[in-house]
Parts: sequence; structure tokens; C-alpha cells
Amino acid sequence: MNSGEPNQVAPAIRVTDLTVAYGDKTVLWDIDIEIPKGAMVAVVGPNGAGKTTLIKSIQGLVPRVAGVISIHGRPYEKQRKEMSYVPQRGSVDWDFPTSVVDTVKMGSYGDLGWIRRPGRKEHEKALSALEKVDMLEFAQRQISQLSGGQQQRVFLARALVQSASVYLLDEPFQGVDATTEKAIVRILKELVNGGKTVLAVHHDLNTVSEYYERIAILNVGLVASGKVDEVFNSENLKRAYGGKTSFFPERKSARRAV
Amino acid sequence: MLDFAVELFSDYTARTIILGAASLGIVSGVVGSYAVLRKQSLVGDVMSHAALPGIVIAFLIMGVKEQLPIFIGAALSAILAVFVINLVTGNSRVKTDSAMGMALSVFFGLGLVLLTYAQRMPNANQAGLDKFLFGQAEALVEKDVLIIGLTGFFALLVVGLFWKELKLLCFDPDFGGTMGFSMKSMDMLVTVVIVSAIVIGLQTVGVVLMSSMLITPAVAARQWTGNMGSMVILAALIAAVSGMTGVALSAGFENVPTGPAVIVCVSVIAFFSVLFSPNGFFTLRFKDARSRREIKKDYVLKVLHDLALEHDDPGYAHSERLLALGSEKGFNVKKSLWELQTAGYVEKAGEENWRLTSNGIREVRKFSPVEKDR
Repeated sequence: MNSGEPNQVAPAIRVTDLTVAYGDKTVLWDIDIEIPKGAMVAVVGPNGAGKTTLIKSIQGLVPRVAGVISIHGRPYEKQRKEMSYVPQRGSVDWDFPTSVVDTVKMGSYGDLGWIRRPGRKEHEKALSALEKVDMLEFAQRQISQLSGGQQQRVFLARALVQSASVYLLDEPFQGVDATTEKAIVRILKELVNGGKTVLAVHHDLNTVSEYYERIAILNVGLVASGKVDEVFNSENLKRAYGGKTSFFPERKSARRAV
Repeated sequence: MLDFAVELFSDYTARTIILGAASLGIVSGVVGSYAVLRKQSLVGDVMSHAALPGIVIAFLIMGVKEQLPIFIGAALSAILAVFVINLVTGNSRVKTDSAMGMALSVFFGLGLVLLTYAQRMPNANQAGLDKFLFGQAEALVEKDVLIIGLTGFFALLVVGLFWKELKLLCFDPDFGGTMGFSMKSMDMLVTVVIVSAIVIGLQTVGVVLMSSMLITPAVAARQWTGNMGSMVILAALIAAVSGMTGVALSAGFENVPTGPAVIVCVSVIAFFSVLFSPNGFFTLRFKDARSRREIKKDYVLKVLHDLALEHDDPGYAHSERLLALGSEKGFNVKKSLWELQTAGYVEKAGEENWRLTSNGIREVRKFSPVEKDR
């Protein structure tokens, strides 16, 4: 299966002319963005900027008005197995009757395809993913008994089971404790060091420079994208957030020096 | 009662009916679990009520109560109701619950009007059409049971084959979509199996109460287990047992329609489950009271210990009144002290005074170690 090999030259994610509308509301307007292979990228922007929609569009979860999306140089439909997805923690009902290990196992469903059930191999994979996120002891626990941080780790483990080359995460740090945040950052950095590409919707502007090397600033349209040192500045943030942001990256280094 | 049961099972007709009710129970328990897990319990309610106009229209067109046309009519109008709900919520500001309420009353109202009209018709064929409202299992014949069985088999086959895909649909459809599974077709599949369950339940339980037959067993089963597979199987069992019991009740007493009898059985089970299951109302209350009692005991131990330490003697005795000071009203210190005494942690020292025993001191230091320099 030569055609399945990721193209070495093409960017991990290329979005061209992407426009998405819900009803009469434009959510994303003419987005062009390229994410190089092996990058760790933050997607930031105010509420309603279309961050989640961008992540979902890349996977074909929302209907597009226009736009082409390719993963490693091929249309996303043919690259589903190259993508791992961590949706917002709050998007599912954690009272669902299932155990932690069974939830993580869902990450293997894509490889299994229709009808085939997960077996021993998938179980082992799920357990080793749980070990990576430090949740092995919770494997048999009901998911309804997990804390917010543990829920997020379970979702990350599920994405790890997918063992893809591009990771798409929607607010992985929302409402999690500091320990979990550190653990998730460590795992994401490991992925990037292993040549994987990570794209995460991020809210906390204070940690952008610490966690990511690249950034896409979004507000319906793409305000800026590129290396954090180059585009993460007050001018771009003002354009995205309006005058309302009190965060100025330039001052941050000064503040840290104090 | 036993004679009655023996009589029921030895009688051929009765056996047919009971077999039908049991199969219907299994199907609706399984299928209903999906409605509950997807938080679409009300959709089942709408669909079963909305089947009525389809039943009557099918009769009006055919002129006779033929089973197949009536099934098709019922299925079509139930699906039409779901379609209308999606149309309204997708194209207006009307919220899903309002749309469902409207669809239910409009379809069911229309069904009742048509039913009244059909019953005034001068031929005798319409007799018993109103049995579709509350069900009449006595009318089940072998052919009906066969159809129930076949439809049920189809529904179970679908659930069995697409088990993991349907789990994705219920838990995280977006995630399922990213892996290339068509969640839209799974959604349609669930609608189809729910409609099939409703259609085969029309004769036995009736349109009005069929939704309870779908929803209640699943709700009851959910109380006992945290595993989706066990939940589905348990729901099927609960519904099957209720179906059989309901049919027996309805046959045993005159003029008790089957539908209500079945629903009474399943509701009793659900009620019991909500109250007494491991996560049920009473169980949680009981656990709550027990842990509160333990905390109070620990608190009294701790206070006794702290007070005693001020005298540099952990065994120093204090009066009950002093211990009660500073704790809120309704805190029965006396009761906690008695319990502690039984446990051997405190002992009486004179009239109203209490002191820690050596066991008590060891116990209190387990959860509140003394600072060394004190």
C-alpha cells in the first residue's frame, strides 16, 4: 500500500479556502493554513471564533460551504486513520454506562472497521495507552466516577490508541488540575518529538509560548499563523480579540524577569 | 395462583400469547435501551402515539383489519412524525421538546379523530380497531407471534452486528464520525429498529403505552449496572417478565386490557429499582446516614482528645455538656458517645464525664496525629 504512505514533502495539514456557515451565520471565513509535519500548534481566538469548527472541519464533521482539506497531501477522507481526535470533554455524557478501558478501546474501532469487535490485541493497546496517561489503575472504573482531569486523560488515551500521525485536540486543558495539565503537555511533546503533528485549541494565552512553537490566531477569519515568536504579539491579538484583551505577550518576558 | 399458571402454560392459545408477550418484551427492552442511552426517551413516546393515524388510515384504505397494511401504515406515520420534528427544529427557533410535544398531540389527535370516524362507518369490520389504543394480547394468534418473532430477530441481529458502532452513536457520535463510521446511517438504523418494536407492540400493548414498554425496562436496568451490555440484557429480561406477567394478569381478570397490565408490572420493577438498587434512593440515603454517623463519632473523639491534651493528659475526662458546646443544634453528642463506648474508645468517668480509653487514643491518632512538640 504505497499510496497510504504519508507524503514527506506535503504539510501535515493543509486547509485551503475553508468557509463554514451555520444557517446565515458565517463561522469560518476563507481560511488558508498550513501546518508543517512535526509541529505543535495552538489555535487561539475569542469565543465564537470558530476554533472548534476548524478542528471539526479538518475531519469533515461539519458541512463546508467551500474549502479543500488535505492531510499529508491527500484528501482527509482517505486519511482518517492518520488523524486522532480528542473532543471537548464536555461534549459527551460521562454518566454513560461503560468502563474506562472500554472507552479507551473505542480508539481502536476505526482500525477494526465495520462490525468487527475489539479483541485481546485491542484490550492490550488500551491498557498500554492508559499506562501512558497514568490511569492504568482506573481501567475497570466506571467513567462516571472520574474527575475532570481523569476524564481528559481517558480521552487522550483513546486518541493514543488511534495511533495516528496528526493529533487534533479541542481544549485539552479546560478545567483540569495542574498535574493533569503537565502530564498532557509532556505526552503531547513526546508525540511531537516522535514526528507527530499536534493541533490544539488553547485558551490560556499565558502558557502559549511555553507549550507551543506555532500558533494560529483565529476570529472567523485567520488573523495570523506561524511561529509563536513571530506572530504571537499584541497587534495580532488585538485584531482577534478586539481591544478587550489585557494580555500582551511582549510584556510577559519583562514580567517574568521581575 | 400456581394452578392458574399451569393452566396458562398448558393451554395452546395462552402459550402463544405469552410467547408473543415475552418476545415483544425482549425486543422492546433491547431497543428501548438505545432510546434511553441517546436521551431520546421522548422520541419513542412520540413515535408510538404517532402510529395511530397510520393504523386507521391503513384500515380506511383497505377496508379490513389486515395485519401487514396496518403495520406499514403505523410505521410510516411514526417515521413521518420524526421527520416533521427534524424539519421543524432544523428550520425554526422551535426547540426539540416543543416540537416533540406538538408532533405527539397533532398526530395522536388526528388518529383519534380518524378512529372516531372509522368507528361510525356502517360496516362491522372496524370492530376492535380501538384495541390498538391499549392493546389486547388475547387477540394474538400464531401468525402474529411469528411476525413479532421475526421482526424481533431482525432488530436483535442489527443490534448484535452493529454493537460497537451503535455504542459510538450513543456515547460520542462525533468521534465515531472522525473514524469514518456513518453516524447518520446508524441514527437511521436505530429509528428503524425502534419503529419495528413499536409496530409489533401495537396489538399487545397499544400505541398509548408502548413508549413505557420501551423506556421503563431500560431505566430500571440502568439502576443495577454500569455496563452497557448488561444493561441491554437486563432490560430485555425485565420487559419479558413484565410482558408475560401482564398478559397473565389481563387474562386472569376480566376487562383488564393487556397494555396497562404490562405497564403496571414493568413500572413496579422500575420503581423498586430506583428505590433499592445499589445507587437507588434508599441505598444512597442509608450510606449517607452511615457515613455521617462515622464522621460525628470521629469528631467527638477528636474534640475529647484535643481538650484532654490541654491538660497534658490524653485520658483527662470532660463533661458531656462541654463536648456538646460549639457543635451545632441537633448534633446528638450523647448518642455518638454511646456508640464510641460500645466500640471501646471512650469510658464514663463519674456522672456526666467521659474520657478516652487507650484504644480510643490510638484510634484518634490514626486520623489526627499529635504534633511532636506539643
